[in-house]
Amino acid sequence: MDVISRKHRILMVSDFFFPNFGGVESHIYYLSQCLLKLGHKVVVMTHAYGKRSGVRYVTGGLKVYYVPWRPFLMQNTLPTLFMTFPVIRTILIRERISVVHGHQAFSTLCHEALMHARTMGYKVIFTDHSLYGFADVGSIHMNKVLQFTLADIDQAICVSHTSKENTVLRSGISPEKVFMVPNAVDTAMFTPSPNRLSRDEIIIVVISRLVYRKGADLLVEVIPEVCRLFPKVRFIVGGDGPKRVRLEEMREKFSLQDRVEMLGAVPHAQVRSVLISGHIFLNSSLTEAFCIAILEAASCGLLTVSTRVGGVPEVLPDDMVVLAEPDPEDMVRAVRKAIDILPGIDPQTMHLRMKRLYSWDDVAKRTEIVYDRAMQSSHTNLLDRLPKYLTCGAWAGKLFCLVMIINYLVWCLLEFLQPAKDIEEVPDIIGPLHSQLHSVDDD
Amino acid sequence: MKGVGKNPVLCQTKWRKVAYGGMQPGYDDNYTDDSFLEEMVMNANVVKRDFLRVMVDSVSISQYLCIVALVVSTWTHTLNLAIDEITLLKFDIGLVLVGFLVLLLTTSPFSLKLLSRYVLNISFFTSGLYVLAPICHTLTRSISSDSIWALAVFLLLVHLFLHDYSGSTIRPPGALNNPKLTSNISLNASIVASVLVASRLPSWLHVFAIMLFSLQVFLFAPLVTFCIKKYSCRLHLLFSFALMIMTLGVTYQLHRMLFILLLALVVFISLVCPYWLIRIQEYKFEINGPWDEAKLCFDITE
Repeated sequence: MDVISRKHRILMVSDFFFPNFGGVESHIYYLSQCLLKLGHKVVVMTHAYGKRSGVRYVTGGLKVYYVPWRPFLMQNTLPTLFMTFPVIRTILIRERISVVHGHQAFSTLCHEALMHARTMGYKVIFTDHSLYGFADVGSIHMNKVLQFTLADIDQAICVSHTSKENTVLRSGISPEKVFMVPNAVDTAMFTPSPNRLSRDEIIIVVISRLVYRKGADLLVEVIPEVCRLFPKVRFIVGGDGPKRVRLEEMREKFSLQDRVEMLGAVPHAQVRSVLISGHIFLNSSLTEAFCIAILEAASCGLLTVSTRVGGVPEVLPDDMVVLAEPDPEDMVRAVRKAIDILPGIDPQTMHLRMKRLYSWDDVAKRTEIVYDRAMQSSHTNLLDRLPKYLTCGAWAGKLFCLVMIINYLVWCLLEFLQPAKDIEEVPDIIGPLHSQLHSVDDD
Repeated sequence: MKGVGKNPVLCQTKWRKVAYGGMQPGYDDNYTDDSFLEEMVMNANVVKRDFLRVMVDSVSISQYLCIVALVVSTWTHTLNLAIDEITLLKFDIGLVLVGFLVLLLTTSPFSLKLLSRYVLNISFFTSGLYVLAPICHTLTRSISSDSIWALAVFLLLVHLFLHDYSGSTIRPPGALNNPKLTSNISLNASIVASVLVASRLPSWLHVFAIMLFSLQVFLFAPLVTFCIKKYSCRLHLLFSFALMIMTLGVTYQLHRMLFILLLALVVFISLVCPYWLIRIQEYKFEINGPWDEAKLCFDITE
């Protein structure tokens, strides 16, 4: 019973991609690379970054469209509803896409691309990478936009079970449509140090953006207390942000210049070298859907101490992480416990375990199952789809229907002005790397 | 896979809420367990409101509205030159003494230091006004009266909207909260409105008297009413009712339209709004759960 799965032609859309470094960016990159290895065709679409505009090819022959729009707020393109339609349509037809996969609820480009792809009849998938609240004005608007996008989506993906609950509550989508496919870590890049570090001094590493959301204020309370209670402990703090000033002040106030080292912003290529210089990794975020930083630290053989927020309890087994409430006393208690169990930790064993627990190939295979499921849903026309938008709210539902009708009319206009058969299609170029991999997989 | 069909229950391991280890055997990725949304808490912080309680709380708002109406009536009478400046000055001094008396009676630890500090502030304030009154007198001579009245009404509306009805912009002893930005804006709006109206008067002594009156009321009336409310709820209610009746009487004599407007507003605030609030509280839907951003339990001191 060998089912030959169809090869898909996927368009990944997000405002967040290389040359930016972050959770969403690395997720899209690694997932695309692994899907290419499985034989699918992947194209990424994002906005222009500075002078980087146009079509670029990155590793493995991954084609990236840096569409020449400027970001206007926090890396997002200006939301124009219908003005993005011509470019997106051209890309979809040229590359003969079959599935459109959007990432991150905060990305305006993602929502617009999914809307246009849906109007044109393509299958759409959405992945949510963050947790959001319900109470403040920004969250309420974001949730409404998400409700619009997920009202007529084929499948959705969330990165943790807590994220799935949060997405289902925010958008009202049925839980059966949401798949839980976690992030992973590149264990080949994050290997532990070949020499065992000496245990005379215990070094705690912190690498994060120093902002309120990542718990920089908790660090300001925890570091002096830990330094006072444990004379053997040193801290290495990497990262930059608005709260860096507070950390520097704390360093001056408690005279910890020789015990707390501030590295400033750490380039992504050097994260591993900073991590392997420590024994314990401290994460103090106030909210996380899934924390890739913890995976990187565990892959390098560090014991993790983290706050028990969001999806963090699901990410690592109990013997690789010590959890604490986001409260300075509890975090100091957790650091004490971590220092006590540190002698029993072997970095190489931890690294080998991480290789079995997480891999991007596994994530790609599970995403492939989601694509197969999406392709099975039947094609619906506009009139069948409009009632799905009416459930979004008394006023919002009708507004959304109006937006989709206008979108459909814009599509008809574009079809008239530039018919699909006039758009030249891009031939598939299979590079030498892929043909070699194909022959390896075939046995 | 022969064993699968025979004992499906034994072969299937229990589903765990974890993200590691790849796909859990026997379960699809979109499997929704019975424990889904188990940790969601609804309406945890919602307080069930009692109609009478809300009505009593709304009395502070109608009380302040009456105070502002009294100030406006005094302005109108002074602008019509129905009150002369000496009477107004005597009234001001009377108000200061009454205010001090109330503060002394209601603040429980009687401290001479606090009293002397207040006396010092009042004397600085009064002498400052005395010096600035001639400037204020000629301030708006080139502006037409219509613009002045329109601006004054607009500023008073801004003052009423942004006013902090639960506390006082001037921190009374024992108050916990810092004044917010909106309460500062409302105070400034009322002061500018009083300056505009005062600048229309004939002599600078008039200007001094009316400015002293307006600023006393706008700056210190919230403080006095806050102290009364803190001291005893019954005294607060009694004071408010007496004030409301007095205001309605004064506005009745002044202008019928103003009286009807004030009466309608007081009824709306005291009766209609509490009922409306309790009706729409039923629709409140607050969601909390493990996905919430953690709240820091300590204050961040910059």
